[in-house]
Amino acid sequence: MKRMTKAGVAAVAGATLMLAGCSGDNGGGGGDGGPVDLVLAGWSLSTTPEFQVLVDGFTEQNPEVTIDVLEYDAANYDTQLTADLAAGSAPDLYPLKTVTTLPTYQEGGQLVDVSDVASELSGDILGVDAYVVDGATYAIPYRQDAWFLYYNQELFDQAGVDAPDGTWTWDDYVAASSALQEGLAGTDAKATYQHGWASLVQGFANAQAGSDEKFLAAEWDYMVPFYERALELQDAGAQESYGTVTTNSLTYQGQFGTQKVAMMPMGSWYVATLLAQQESGDADTFGWSFAPMPQLDDSTLDAPITQGNPTAIGINPAIDEDKLDAAKEFLAYIGSEEAASELAAIGIMPAYTTEAVAEVMFGLEGVPTDDVARTAFSAQQPVPEAPVNSGTPPLQTILDDAHSEIMTGNISPADGIAAAIARAQDEVLG
Amino acid sequence: MSATTIERPRAPGRRLRRRRALVGWTFILPNFLGFATFTLVPVLILMYLGFTSWNAFGAAEFTGLENYERLLSDSTFHTALLNTLYYAVFHIPLTLVAALGLAVLLNQKLRGVAFFRTVAFFPYITSIVAIAVVWNMLFSPEAGPVNQFLEAIGIASPPGWTTSTDWAMPAIILVSIWRDMGYYMLLFLAGLQAIPGELYEAARIDGANAWQRFRNVTMPGLRPTTFFVTVMLTIGSFKVFDLILVMTNGGPGTATLVLSQYIYDTGFVERDFGYASTVAIVLFLICIGVTVLQFLVNKRRER
Repeated sequence: MKRMTKAGVAAVAGATLMLAGCSGDNGGGGGDGGPVDLVLAGWSLSTTPEFQVLVDGFTEQNPEVTIDVLEYDAANYDTQLTADLAAGSAPDLYPLKTVTTLPTYQEGGQLVDVSDVASELSGDILGVDAYVVDGATYAIPYRQDAWFLYYNQELFDQAGVDAPDGTWTWDDYVAASSALQEGLAGTDAKATYQHGWASLVQGFANAQAGSDEKFLAAEWDYMVPFYERALELQDAGAQESYGTVTTNSLTYQGQFGTQKVAMMPMGSWYVATLLAQQESGDADTFGWSFAPMPQLDDSTLDAPITQGNPTAIGINPAIDEDKLDAAKEFLAYIGSEEAASELAAIGIMPAYTTEAVAEVMFGLEGVPTDDVARTAFSAQQPVPEAPVNSGTPPLQTILDDAHSEIMTGNISPADGIAAAIARAQDEVLG
Repeated sequence: MSATTIERPRAPGRRLRRRRALVGWTFILPNFLGFATFTLVPVLILMYLGFTSWNAFGAAEFTGLENYERLLSDSTFHTALLNTLYYAVFHIPLTLVAALGLAVLLNQKLRGVAFFRTVAFFPYITSIVAIAVVWNMLFSPEAGPVNQFLEAIGIASPPGWTTSTDWAMPAIILVSIWRDMGYYMLLFLAGLQAIPGELYEAARIDGANAWQRFRNVTMPGLRPTTFFVTVMLTIGSFKVFDLILVMTNGGPGTATLVLSQYIYDTGFVERDFGYASTVAIVLFLICIGVTVLQFLVNKRRER
């Protein structure tokens, strides 16, 4: 039976698997103190320098260990990795690209219990809880994205609207959008930009108004006001319509970077991208900053709730016994303040957040240093866009369908969510 | 005369036959090995996986007919099946007519006919992603040229095309006809050139007009080609995937969700490879069923 499934995966993955599998082999070994060769999975290495930064930082401290980063295709990372894991040829260490895939790998027995590493970690590290199943930790996060409200200071000045001050609720956001729209009338710029992803609406709804229980039970009524707000802004012309965003393949980098919008909710990763694009000339040079995301009401202004996924690395159980310690040391390193500083230095928001790490981040040339931005960086509480549960993926498929149907105006938010709930009850939960 | 002389030619004959078979096998072996490794064995495994629950790790758990029972009550599967039929019912005949029309048109002695043939074939060799991006922009509801043209000729509220649950499928069908007709035109052109000119001459002498010549000479002469094109188009239509994935991703809602994408979503997004295999088997059975039917109909017509 086991051989059967292996053959099945080999067949499914075809040539890709075989190529990746061959290069995944490594001959190194070594016991205590001897040289150890590890392989770490990664994706888009040329534009995702974080893996090499972590590896370089670790091997500098541990010269007896060498770690090769094996590149996977970013878009098909989980598919290719699944094939390699099932075929027994996957790297020793692999990142969980999306936190919601944890149950798949954990329930499939593809992650080593690293609770011993987790217990040594500092309490300042965010997102570890997402990787705990039944009391055991299965991966160590090194990166914690959080969503900010980016804004263009010059367009705000031009429109005569006050920039976000970190006390905004969604009502303030809508009011500011209308004011911006009025103030920017006659220019090409729109008030705000909502990218096409379902998480732009549902991620915030889940984080601020929902709960894991409600999400998994398909009690999604809390999403309706978030959709009504998005449609209201879209119908008023304060933001580009979903249909235009998708049919014209608009990019959020192009919209904000070339000053077509005054504000935009987007993940923390965009800080590094925008700086790089301003440097290369792909984006205009203008004054910008970011603020905490608008909140449901003012009760959460001190610790604003936003969405944001952690990214963690876990260990493949097929790892050689004598390499396991080195692999665990690597995980301990990626959860350290040192690694966090290295990551912050390339503009990545690390899972480990201390004042010292924040200093590194805000010391980067071009990063806004105002107090509101610092609050967004340090005080916001990021929540994964959807619960980390094996029941999540099929529900997300249904919600993705509902998102496109509602945002294109084919169905009202209330009816669209009601239909999605009915479908979830019928097909997934029933 | 004697027994030996009768036996002697038979022995080398058998050896020869065996050798010929061996040579034949060696010729198809490289192709067959590839087919067996990458198609036959995976398909057989898939047949088995369709009766299991499997998330790609560990052993697949045999669940009998559970997946098939689930199909019966799975309304998204029903939507995908209906959408696939919707697509096929319009895509097959319309592409056939468009390709045949183009072929007849470009089979005439026109100035620059080679240029026009190339133009008609061009969509087929263009990257599907580029096609999807460009057509999506053309169909853009607010600023797209298609709707601007429709508004200019006095249509007050033109359709939302790929952003409308009612018009997304027609938009996809239009684009796929545009993309596929060049390829099938080429097949029809080859078929047209195989029809002897004397037949047309004879028809003309008998006083047949252009339509009658088309009806009674061209159509029968093209029968084998038409059959082949219909079969290929049918299989292609039921398996449609890439164009829809990049143009609408099955949306808005599930308005353009087809079986292939449902299989992809169930397998690679939701990690339910067992159920995805079941749907894949159903798609396979539909394709094979329709093809066998077409062969039977074709055979009856030949008689």
